[in-house]
Amino acid sequence: MAPKKQKEAASKSRGNLVEDEGLDWLKPRALIKPDDQEEVPDADLEEEVGRILSTINPQWVADEVAYHYGRGMFVIKPRPTFGKAYPLYIYQGTAIRKDSDEAKAQIAAGYGMVGFDDAGPKRAKVKKSAAEEEEEEEPEPEPAAPAEEAKPEEDEVAAEEQKPNEEKPQEEPKEVGEEGEVAAEEGGEEAAAEEKEEAPDLGAEEVLDIKPRVKKLANQFNFCERAALTYNFPRRSVDTQTIPPPRANFGSTALQSIIFDYYQEDYAKKLREKEEEKPKRLRKKTAKHVKSEQQIHDEKLAQRIREAWTILERLVNQNIYDDIAQDYRYWDDPSDEFREGMGSLLPLWKFQYEPMRNHAVCDIQWNPHYQDLFAVAYGSLDFTNQQKTGCLCLYSIKNPAYPEYSVVTESPVICLDVYKETPYLICIGCYDGNVCVYNAQLSLETSYQYKSDSVRDKHSNIVWEVRWGARLIDGEASFFSISGDGRVVQWAVMPGELQATTIITLTSNVPPIPGPDGTMITVNSCGSCICFHPEREEIFMVGTEDGMIHTCSLKYNRNYVRSVHGHHMPVYRISYNFFNNSIYASCSGDWRVKIWEDGRDEPLFMFELGSPVGDVKWAPYSSTVFAACTADGKVYVYDLNVNKYRPVCVQAVVSKKTKKLTRIDFNQRLPVIVCGDTKGTCHVVKLSPNLRVMCKPPKKAQGIDQRTLQIMKLDKLLSLVRDPPFQTGVVDEKFEDD
Amino acid sequence: MANEAEETVRKLSMHKGVVGVVVVNGEGIPIKTTLDNHVSVQYAGLMSALVDKAKAVVRDLDPSNDLTFLRIRSKKSEVMVAPDKDFILIVVQNPVE
Repeated sequence: MAPKKQKEAASKSRGNLVEDEGLDWLKPRALIKPDDQEEVPDADLEEEVGRILSTINPQWVADEVAYHYGRGMFVIKPRPTFGKAYPLYIYQGTAIRKDSDEAKAQIAAGYGMVGFDDAGPKRAKVKKSAAEEEEEEEPEPEPAAPAEEAKPEEDEVAAEEQKPNEEKPQEEPKEVGEEGEVAAEEGGEEAAAEEKEEAPDLGAEEVLDIKPRVKKLANQFNFCERAALTYNFPRRSVDTQTIPPPRANFGSTALQSIIFDYYQEDYAKKLREKEEEKPKRLRKKTAKHVKSEQQIHDEKLAQRIREAWTILERLVNQNIYDDIAQDYRYWDDPSDEFREGMGSLLPLWKFQYEPMRNHAVCDIQWNPHYQDLFAVAYGSLDFTNQQKTGCLCLYSIKNPAYPEYSVVTESPVICLDVYKETPYLICIGCYDGNVCVYNAQLSLETSYQYKSDSVRDKHSNIVWEVRWGARLIDGEASFFSISGDGRVVQWAVMPGELQATTIITLTSNVPPIPGPDGTMITVNSCGSCICFHPEREEIFMVGTEDGMIHTCSLKYNRNYVRSVHGHHMPVYRISYNFFNNSIYASCSGDWRVKIWEDGRDEPLFMFELGSPVGDVKWAPYSSTVFAACTADGKVYVYDLNVNKYRPVCVQAVVSKKTKKLTRIDFNQRLPVIVCGDTKGTCHVVKLSPNLRVMCKPPKKAQGIDQRTLQIMKLDKLLSLVRDPPFQTGVVDEKFEDD
Repeated sequence: MANEAEETVRKLSMHKGVVGVVVVNGEGIPIKTTLDNHVSVQYAGLMSALVDKAKAVVRDLDPSNDLTFLRIRSKKSEVMVAPDKDFILIVVQNPVE
């Protein structure tokens, strides 16, 4: 029935499959059969086979043998005790056969009788034994009691009475031993005889003998329980507390940056370890130069603090001078659009250094590298009441309140020049005739880096101007100085010292004057300014206090290349045009500014400013613009292209009653001018748009750059003013003749 | 160094509008000040906390970056802070009218 049912179920499920259209896509089920499967007719398959459980082990083998390796032969295996039966379940019982060795041993020991006997005889036996026990036990305490009573009398009596007690147990084991043997013998006989008849008699006999010493087997029916209760101590709870360990709250945040730092630290540590692995002698070499860690840390800290202070100061200044800074950058005078050819100067910052209040600004120069920085030389031009000290200061327009760098000198500083190659090197000329080179990078304590020897080679008069020159053949930097003693000296900046070479001694037309002791003294003319040709390094011009302008050459130191009687008073400044190397301007105490062309004895232009002109400078951005400052506190700005006769701007920067303007300088990149006065103040003014008009390229040639346009503008202007035909190369001709 | 610091503090405090200068050491204790004692302590404490926070902000945005300066403009004054791991410099300035 069962297989049928299954088949039906299978066919049913298959039918379901077929019916289920949703599963059509499934592959039809084909039963896989092995090839060699026997074909069985359906009738055989459906035949029912009955199964019968039997107790007979069909695999029973009567005589089973196995090879015994020890004996080297086949031996018959011991038959299983259960015979032909097949063990389905084996339970180990506690009953043992009476004739087995174990049972015999137990019987011999006197056990087993109890469990074996019937209830009736057992009870009688127990009673008997109990009665005997009582009899036996009772006599024992009795002798003990008399012993105690007799104690006071004699110890010996007690000892004697105890003896029988001791002897008794000795005898008893003997009896037990005999009885054990008897039991064993009888046990053996019993095994042969029938159990039922013999056992009761034997038990009864034996029990009587051995009972007193039989140790009963403990079982669940025969045991006695004794319990004792101890005192319950009253419970008491005692607790104690230790001093709590010190606690502290600790919290930290794991920020990305902190993790990053730790990684950096770890990386540095690893690098260090790697370094330490290097051979020792390599390490020793490096260790010599290394300063102590603390020292490095201190230095770095000091530097950081210094920088922080500087920036803070800048911030403070930015707040204070914000409006000026805005003007400086973005404000252009709108009125310039309506007045053609006229401009104005917008005053910006004023720089004053408190200790130098009574000094005059004797020279001023923008730094060629940093557009916001300018150097100021503080000296004195009041020669009857000369100051004892001078000062060299570097100001930044970012910090109008204090100089960035200031160093007090032993003598008033009359002139300075900033080295273009290394803009922190500044050479100065002093009132006492010394020249020095200052390194602005060094801290203030070290003061100057180089100084001329006061005994051997310093000037014997005021150094009026110093100018850096080209490097020497050996590569040393050098600068030139001109002094009131009529010498032009070249100073080579050697390591640790300045080496002086007199280039030229300025002679004058004055005949030698007889001295007090009769010797004739030649009088030198006093140099007052020096100016180098922008392109030809060996050509320079010298202005003197008697108004002469000499053109000289480094290669030719006996005579002047050329001399012009330019002014009637000391020449204060000669300035070359930035666009045309043959054009230069000079100014003098005779109130005049003159524009010269090389090789021409008469000036191209001459302007009278109504007051001694302290300085004149060409503008770096235009070929026709120059500015001059006068002793009555005015700044004149000329644009020759706009007006050949009048300045495009005249503006009083300082009050003429108390102050005079001494020096002026154009910033190289920004449209600002700085000018210094005799009260130690530097004024930075901004040029209005009309003062910095750039050239517009002509329509024909749009692509020309500003510089070419500026040169063209100047050339055009010059062609208008050149009256007699100009002979070119006068300087060169003279030069070649020699 | 000490003279230099003294000189710088003096110079800074003489600028127009500068109300006070406080130098705070690494532990947040004002070691040099031109302000009243309790005001300096207050500035030092509050600014150290702010600097730490600001530094964390800058460092977290970019771990290789670092805070260099801090300017706090308020209605009444501007506080400029130069933070460093070993010191904090604080300058309080009133705006120029």
